[in-house]
Amino acid sequence: MGWERDPSAPAVRTYGSAGELTWGAPPTAGDLAEWSDDSLMAAVVARDPDAFGVLYDRYAPLVYTTCLRVVGEPAMAEDLVQDIFVRLWQRPEAFIPARGRFVTWLLSITRNRAVDEVRSRNRRRMRELPEPKDAPFAPVATARADDPVSLAELREEQVAVRQALAQLPPEQRRVLELAFFGGYTHQEIATRLREPLGTVKTRIRLGMQKLRASLERLR
Amino acid sequence: MHAEHLTQAEADEYALGVLEPDAQRAYAQHALACDECRARILDAQRVIALLALAPPVQAPPPGLKRRVLRAARARRGRAWLPRLARLSPAAAALVATAAAVVSIAAVISLRGQVESLRDENALLQSKVDDALSQRFEIVALTNRLSQAEASAWEAQYESQLDRDMLMAVLSPDSQTAEVISVADGFTPVGRLIWDGQQQRLWFVASRLPKLAEGETYQLWVNVDGRYRSLGTFQPDESGFARFVRYLPEGLARYESAVVTIERAGGSPERTGPGVFFVADLSAFR
Repeated sequence: MGWERDPSAPAVRTYGSAGELTWGAPPTAGDLAEWSDDSLMAAVVARDPDAFGVLYDRYAPLVYTTCLRVVGEPAMAEDLVQDIFVRLWQRPEAFIPARGRFVTWLLSITRNRAVDEVRSRNRRRMRELPEPKDAPFAPVATARADDPVSLAELREEQVAVRQALAQLPPEQRRVLELAFFGGYTHQEIATRLREPLGTVKTRIRLGMQKLRASLERLR
Repeated sequence: MHAEHLTQAEADEYALGVLEPDAQRAYAQHALACDECRARILDAQRVIALLALAPPVQAPPPGLKRRVLRAARARRGRAWLPRLARLSPAAAALVATAAAVVSIAAVISLRGQVESLRDENALLQSKVDDALSQRFEIVALTNRLSQAEASAWEAQYESQLDRDMLMAVLSPDSQTAEVISVADGFTPVGRLIWDGQQQRLWFVASRLPKLAEGETYQLWVNVDGRYRSLGTFQPDESGFARFVRYLPEGLARYESAVVTIERAGGSPERTGPGVFFVADLSAFR
């Protein structure tokens, strides 16, 4: 069974409608690389390993980076990447296009899975977040030539997110960084930064308000 | 359970995972029953996920893809079909011939398969929706289980107190004194029990009036003309109170005992009016 070469193939929810499946030669990797995320996921639902491979190539760097930032250990990050992609292959129908974009869904489950892993292994005391010079939310308002992100659209979004973070006061960036990559609670962040709990809560709220306004169009 | 709708800021905090476990559970329980708040949380998750795009991206090790594909292949239900492009020409021709034969039958059943896939897709969709609801239900059940455990523990503790007080009453080392009301409108029935074996003092009374908010009952003993606090207590809804306290160090006797009404949290010195008086326990044994 092959897939239409039209990269705007329909998403999972409408996968079964008439005319979407055609007979013919399997698409090449080059064809698939042009497909949208939703189309690739529809192919993965139909058990197409090539589509799965293309999704891996497209998003493994982001998934690996997120895991590595959270858990801090390359070997554990690799295990998490494997776990996340194998689950994606096993249960692709968990992604519901009507609820949002594939990339935000994938990054959301990646971050949550990594934070759960750290919490369950109780490694928090042994783990240190990077120093400020290497902080993940350090204001880098431009694209980086060495970023292994394949899609031009994703690269543009990276720039947008970095610019949004660059516009935040450093103390708001720092609390969001500890919450997102550290998986810390309000109280834990307050303890770690030796700041009053109310101050930490306010910084997170203000930071999220500004990010929401800046990133509205990317959701 | 969180009674009000979640604000956007609260949804952000939930999605970011910065709430303490109790609050996280309460919000989840609310979202279980509230479509509006569940949608707000999903929206917050979409914004927060974008933060993963911020750091410089690192490529995973080159061998990881092979490992992932191998693991996926090992766990899938059916065989990983060979791709024609990867086979030798002879093998590819053989596979193509076989595929052509099989396709005749496949074409016949194609429409049925499409119908079946459509049904399967709808079923999967409903399962995903169910799974999302069940996740919130599990949180709610966990919460109820915690509450049930707390209630069971409290009942066990109360039962232990009942047994201890009964033993104090029955012990030959104990003394019991009647509680006398010294304030208008107070008609309590109560006893002060000194448990000499356990070195504990019990105050038990019923028909205690409910106090105004910000007030508490406080038990004092008078030693050499100075009142020493033994602690504060509140009656339950029926006006019953049972209060037990180990004897403070250095206190070997008292001349009288009194219960006063003090501000909530207790007072370091007796300031409020006396409402009960206990006189006939002349000394601890």
